Amino acid sequence: MLRLIVRRLLQLVPTLLGLSVLLFLWLRMLPGGPASARLGERATEADRIAMESALGLDKPLWDQYFIFLRDLLTLDLGVSTRTGRPVWEEFTQRFPATVELGVTAILIAVVVGVPLGYLAARHRGGWMDVGAVSGSLIGICIPVFFLAFILKEIFAVGLGWFPTGSRLTTGINATEVTGFHTLDGILTGEFDATGDALWHLVLPGIALASIPLAVITRMTRASVLEVLQEDYVRTAESKGLHQRVVRLRHVMRNALLPVITAIGLLTGSLLSGAVLTESIFSWGGIGSFIRDAIDGRDYPVLTNFILIIALVYVLINLLVDLAYSLIDPRVRVH
Amino acid sequence: MSTERNEPREPDDAARADGASPEGAVPEPAGTATTPTAGATTGGPGPAAPAGPERAESPLAKARMSKADKIDRLAQLTAQRTTSSGDSLWVAAFRRLRSSKMAIIGAVIIAVFVVLAIIGPWIAPYSPTAQTWRGEVFSNRGIFVGPRAENWLGLDNLGRDQLSRLLVGARQTLLVGVVATVIGFVVGALIGGLSGAALALGGRTGQRIDTVIMRFIDMMLALPSLLLAVSIAAVMGQSLTTVMIAVGVVQIPIFARLLRGSMLAQANADYVLAARSLGVRRRRIVLAHVLPNSLGPVIVQCTLVLATAIIEAAALSFLGLGNLDAAQPEWGVMLAQAQRFFDAAPMLAVYPALGIIITALGFTLLGEAMREALDPKLRS
Repeated sequence: MLRLIVRRLLQLVPTLLGLSVLLFLWLRMLPGGPASARLGERATEADRIAMESALGLDKPLWDQYFIFLRDLLTLDLGVSTRTGRPVWEEFTQRFPATVELGVTAILIAVVVGVPLGYLAARHRGGWMDVGAVSGSLIGICIPVFFLAFILKEIFAVGLGWFPTGSRLTTGINATEVTGFHTLDGILTGEFDATGDALWHLVLPGIALASIPLAVITRMTRASVLEVLQEDYVRTAESKGLHQRVVRLRHVMRNALLPVITAIGLLTGSLLSGAVLTESIFSWGGIGSFIRDAIDGRDYPVLTNFILIIALVYVLINLLVDLAYSLIDPRVRVH
Repeated sequence: MSTERNEPREPDDAARADGASPEGAVPEPAGTATTPTAGATTGGPGPAAPAGPERAESPLAKARMSKADKIDRLAQLTAQRTTSSGDSLWVAAFRRLRSSKMAIIGAVIIAVFVVLAIIGPWIAPYSPTAQTWRGEVFSNRGIFVGPRAENWLGLDNLGRDQLSRLLVGARQTLLVGVVATVIGFVVGALIGGLSGAALALGGRTGQRIDTVIMRFIDMMLALPSLLLAVSIAAVMGQSLTTVMIAVGVVQIPIFARLLRGSMLAQANADYVLAARSLGVRRRRIVLAHVLPNSLGPVIVQCTLVLATAIIEAAALSFLGLGNLDAAQPEWGVMLAQAQRFFDAAPMLAVYPALGIIITALGFTLLGEAMREALDPKLRS
């Protein structure tokens, strides 16, 4: 197991290096640059050149890349060309917001989707099944930004049940510890802050959960259907095992394996969804920040943010693989 | 981000791939014994089906056949995609598809959409750019003209006929979906096919090629797709072509991985073993047998990607990167623009949204039904 982890982590190095080269080249292909984006259209050519040399952009490309690599190795992620603040600071300030939203969405998707998929499979062809299947199909087909927008218009603007945006009500007393507002409230005993943060999470969480929920429901349904036909389920039933034991230990344990993989792969799409959801609920996460960084041609922010996101994505999938081999002894990967 | 990451998924891919593989392609001594006329009834592309006695020849006798004979025989074996009902796999799958309610609903939706996309610009009562200025149509006053006799769905914020714009927009929307899918499919299938072929053709070199390609694909997968699309749009400027390319590129790694996984699953199939034992060259096995049989799941994916492409194009429009040419209204852009006036005229957003959702649903329904029809595990 340890060897697997080490090997997988080592494999990461060339992948991330390759990605950094690609990102580096790709960003330089974007028309304009940080200097002209920051100075605006009316800046003189001299201003632009001065700024570019201040940012180190006048050096040859490979020099820039090696400087970037050297800084990366010393954990110096540079300074945002747009805001002038350290990239790491910008990241740590926003990352918890996105993670909190993403985790909420996945939790909603799993808590609702798994039982729903199970019930749908159990009563195949029944109203529950038809409802779950058509619901999940529609869930996939609604553009996330439209769903987020409609939820906001109806439940926040119209009915006023939920806040229209941001992560906390202004003026609420919340001490920052981890940056996760829900967690901070519990840690510091400010439970009203936790409650408020949760209240703010409801609508964006549901909007972002729409696609994972649909995927997880359908995957659970399909895989339960498959497992129910297995011989070992029949054996377990004919042994006279209690229904609940059969369901939990035999059916669910096997059926959830593909679902766990799906959760890992969904993290990528969550980030894309987050860009849209965050901008509608003015969430202040990394999604909307990257969007702005593209407009501002903020090279340091873009390169490092995307590299970190890729790293997180890969690590989550590694965790999923490990969890997988823990749950299923048949797929111990070597 | 190694290839192992997707290993848990591969049984699933394999299963789907199996669905696409000819069941009857498994060399079938049993089949030849019990149904000697199977070859005749299904009419394989090989020479006339041999008579019973000849087919019962011993394997040794087969080994004496000339090379051309061997290939013909193999073609015959693989062509006899007989299922228990005596139909080829594709015919059986098509029959299941026809009896599937999901498929029918999906196909009807797609048909209506395609017809609208073709004739839309002709039946549209007004030009999509024609503005009706009647004093009351000033969006800044928050007054919109709702449905009336001359404009069935009302006018938009600039006084343009909403129905006409929707009709004309159907074509743009379909165009974006189809072109993006074609880009993703062609490039993705090339990369995935190359990788799968390299692996299947064996050898250490093949493995290395596959590893390098898959690392690259994994890198693409690790990038959030929408950000990739946004940055492509930033490079190329705003136009319909940009949206198509941006949405298409995002689909490349998915197609590549799918085809490779599918080919990998096929490479272990019995008929490949049979072909190899008949002495068919590896390259021929890969190109003539493995590749065509692996395409099933990829084709299914095309249908599903069409839906995603339409939705992603709308998302790009929402982020302000859509095609702003007023003469080429696209549902995504219409939706994104109408959201600003949602309080005053919610229906302006609801119509294009419904259009997008229903169309995406049509492609998804058909795609899912196709996947089910091709899946041997779900066969009743």
